[in-house]
Amino acid sequence: MRLEKCWFCSSTVYPGHGIQFVRNDAKVFRFCRSKCHKNFKMKRNPRKVKWTKAYRRLNGKDMTQDSTFEFERKRNRPERYDRNLAENTLKAIKKIDKIRVAREERHHSQRMSGKRSKEMKEAAVELEQGIHMVKAPSVLAEDQSLTLPKIQVRVSQPQTEKNQPMEE
Amino acid sequence: MGKCPNRKVRKRRYSHKTARLAKLLRKGDDAVYDEFQKPESEKNPLPFDEDLPGMGQFYCLHCDRYFANVSVRDEHFKTKRHRKRVKEMMGSKPHTQLDADLAAGMGMPDNGPKLMSM
Repeated sequence: MRLEKCWFCSSTVYPGHGIQFVRNDAKVFRFCRSKCHKNFKMKRNPRKVKWTKAYRRLNGKDMTQDSTFEFERKRNRPERYDRNLAENTLKAIKKIDKIRVAREERHHSQRMSGKRSKEMKEAAVELEQGIHMVKAPSVLAEDQSLTLPKIQVRVSQPQTEKNQPMEE
Repeated sequence: MGKCPNRKVRKRRYSHKTARLAKLLRKGDDAVYDEFQKPESEKNPLPFDEDLPGMGQFYCLHCDRYFANVSVRDEHFKTKRHRKRVKEMMGSKPHTQLDADLAAGMGMPDNGPKLMSM
């Protein structure tokens, strides 16, 4: 029993799943589900389809080179069964998996690191430009507490004294 | 005894099968790419085939299509679709199972020590 990788999306194909297509030149194409199979029949290029692993690695969304990748390989020479070896391998698989997941997590967080500051900047600009949607400008002019701290209008005393003679 | 339908009906009922077969017989991208990568066999001459248009002599390698004569084929070379194919073939090697395995996070396949020295 072998766990194969889907030709299109590179996910694991477990026994009892998917379709294998054998072409006239004896090349075998394995697909994990009909979605990948149909995309193949449409002659779509996996490197251009956004949700495949091929696209993600090519465009730096997922980690590309790592030493943990060396452990999982397609081994075409059968190993003689050795109980100790099998036990150690099973333990190692668990450990390596944990390490690989941690590294991928780190890669992802590094990729997303500038996001919070960018979001805050964009929000500040939007607030400044669109404050009229929150409160009417006339209300903002009267009640100074509602405006942003930047816009501070000081009411100067001499002006009011001047106005009084005018009103009379 | 059942009725034998007329020619049009039979053609309509059978056409999806011929279309499916035609789709299967067309070469995939990586097969066409491999054709370009082998200079040593030096491109065997096209065999005479009665069924194909133009006896199978006028062939576009990039699009895997046969044409009736040289002028038709040359007209095809000017089309947008053909030029796009040419550009694609100039690019990198198409996606293979090995690429899919590497993308999944596996290493290079391990074929063990060489058994026979050639």
